[in-house]
Amino acid sequence: MEGRPLDDLALVERAKNGDVNAYEALVQQYQQLAFRVAYQVTGDAAEAEDAAQEAFVNAYYALARFRTGAPFKPWLCRIVANEARNRRTSARRRTVLAERALVGQSSGDSAQSPEAAAEANEFRSTLVATLRTLREDDRLILAYRLFFDLSEAEMAEALDCPRGTVKSRLSRALGRLRAALPADIRMPLAAGETDG
Amino acid sequence: MADPGRITEVELERALRDLGPRYPYPPTPNLASRVRQRISAQPVAQPRRLELWRDPRRLALVAAVLLVLLGGAALANPATRDAIAHFFHVRGVVVSREASPLPSLSPVTPLDLGRRTTMADAQSRVSFTIGVPAELGEPDAVYVVSGIPGGEVALAYTPRSGIPLVKQTGLGVLISEFRGDLLPGFITKSAGPGTTLEEVSVNGDRGWWIAGEPHMIYVQVAGKDQMETLRMAANTLVWEHAGVTYRIESGLSKADAFRIAAGLP
Repeated sequence: MEGRPLDDLALVERAKNGDVNAYEALVQQYQQLAFRVAYQVTGDAAEAEDAAQEAFVNAYYALARFRTGAPFKPWLCRIVANEARNRRTSARRRTVLAERALVGQSSGDSAQSPEAAAEANEFRSTLVATLRTLREDDRLILAYRLFFDLSEAEMAEALDCPRGTVKSRLSRALGRLRAALPADIRMPLAAGETDG
Repeated sequence: MADPGRITEVELERALRDLGPRYPYPPTPNLASRVRQRISAQPVAQPRRLELWRDPRRLALVAAVLLVLLGGAALANPATRDAIAHFFHVRGVVVSREASPLPSLSPVTPLDLGRRTTMADAQSRVSFTIGVPAELGEPDAVYVVSGIPGGEVALAYTPRSGIPLVKQTGLGVLISEFRGDLLPGFITKSAGPGTTLEEVSVNGDRGWWIAGEPHMIYVQVAGKDQMETLRMAANTLVWEHAGVTYRIESGLSKADAFRIAAGLP
């Protein structure tokens, strides 16, 4: 997913010239991503919402410095993540348990046997809970690549790091996640075989 | 690791991709209308770049700086003139030369390094990863200026064995790091006749070594009122890497400054 909708470029250019409608369209397009990136950092819905909103407002006023033709998505991610970091509070603590419960409810793999589905859900719950114990940098890099499907170039921009280091950072983050998982965890047959 | 049944990284990657669409996010709030309200209340109108030229006072300031640049270039030898022609290659930094220091600046101009804080706090307030040179280790003081786009940090090191005191700053080494794309912000460093200006390569990036008599650095971020900072500098090594400008100010020799720079991006 190296590319981006051509619309982005046009919308950004229009927004740069003060077109509020164009910017609103950009917000519509990216609000889910922005909120989810912020949520990965804060682990709290209210904090994530504030951070995402603030990031969009700040990005608007920073558009003048945004290089024409540059991809909007990773630039926005970077601003969102910074905002979210500034807001992250003790709210983190209350999230882990809530998420454990939520994963089970949110996935409905109807083609699986109840046992397989339960096993897959249990596995995903553990994965989510373990992700939350990682350093925020690790969680963010994994999320950018594997949840939000950013390309390496986009990740370098979003993480503000040289492109050459993205792969190794990603690999280290994956290694730390693996090390943090319970030693006896096994890959359930159901997980990873169905596309979302 | 010896456990053959243990989940592999490849499996883990697959599991995460599978988790992505199922991740238990709270519902996405509708931000568009609220963002619209907020930006409508305070329209940005035009890019800030243009404001520079609209404001007569700023225009006068820019004209004055350009005159200094042109005058300096005319006086300078061809190599320096050539160098000046390249100054925009370090984004956000303008290096200029003039016959004498600007009269309005006094050597007692206090350093305005921003707010003193911890490294962790400074890192959370800038949009780039703060580089700390291995040669010097943790700084004695960290300052952050968060009012400018991307933020700016200053790492201050007190004099010690091998690091002489810079009288003008009262410090041994001062390292500044800021986003180099603060357009249309620019820095002018007005160099007196006793100052040398040399284009150098720092870790493979274009930079400048400015040495000799103490000289002034003038920072201006246009588009925001009163964002100028005046600072005394001694020998200076300045370069840009990946959108961030690094500046080392010290009484150290060029070789020693480069040793410090080697530990930075």
